[in-house]
Amino acid sequence: MTELRFDRQLYSGEAVDQAVKAFAGFAAFELEQTDAHWVVRVTPRDPKLARRLLGELGNHALGLTVQRGGAK
Amino acid sequence: MTTPIADLPAGLAAADLASAAVHLLVDEELYPLPAIYGAAYVFIDRCYVFLDRPEGARVRVSLAAKSGAADEAALRALVGEFANELLSCAFRHQITQDNRVLIETATMQALAGAMGQPSLDDLAKFDFSDQGFDDPLGIAMSWEEKHGKKAPKAESEGAP
Repeated sequence: MTELRFDRQLYSGEAVDQAVKAFAGFAAFELEQTDAHWVVRVTPRDPKLARRLLGELGNHALGLTVQRGGAK
Repeated sequence: MTTPIADLPAGLAAADLASAAVHLLVDEELYPLPAIYGAAYVFIDRCYVFLDRPEGARVRVSLAAKSGAADEAALRALVGEFANELLSCAFRHQITQDNRVLIETATMQALAGAMGQPSLDDLAKFDFSDQGFDDPLGIAMSWEEKHGKKAPKAESEGAP
């Protein structure tokens, strides 16, 4: 399992949720929120693709956040 | 393990050769967040981009090569290109901020022009009642009201 911590001032919560939904077929996800972060714990179905999966998930969340005009 | 990148300040940029990634610390007072977003967005097709905020007014940008392998020269080039893009985005953001009123005015005029002229029905239905109307110079008065003959005063019959 790998933990990604998305800063709440930099990433939109809806964007992170949407990104997780987009990659739901490739990994198991656990979501949690703290005061400062959206926490996503990822367990990839194929460990060989873990790096790519985490990278693409981060890119997807960032892209959606930018398209929404920021974290807000 | 991160190592400093040649020709770049050690505290601002560091390379992680094992994970083919580079980390850049960006001061938000110099580069506003929209500019950081803009530069990051440009790079998401070339590498994996992750933003973090380790300190109050600083954003750490992590760029990882999608291939999973990159030498020091490639990582240095990546940082340089990102820094250039960041500067470009910051400057464009500043120009947009400076010309915001002009852009909004031009857009509003364009939209108003696209709506076309009001019809006679629209003009007939226009409601003036909620607008205060002050006419101290009598501009809205008709010519007859303003300059026409005054009605004669009723004369008293018993006058000599």
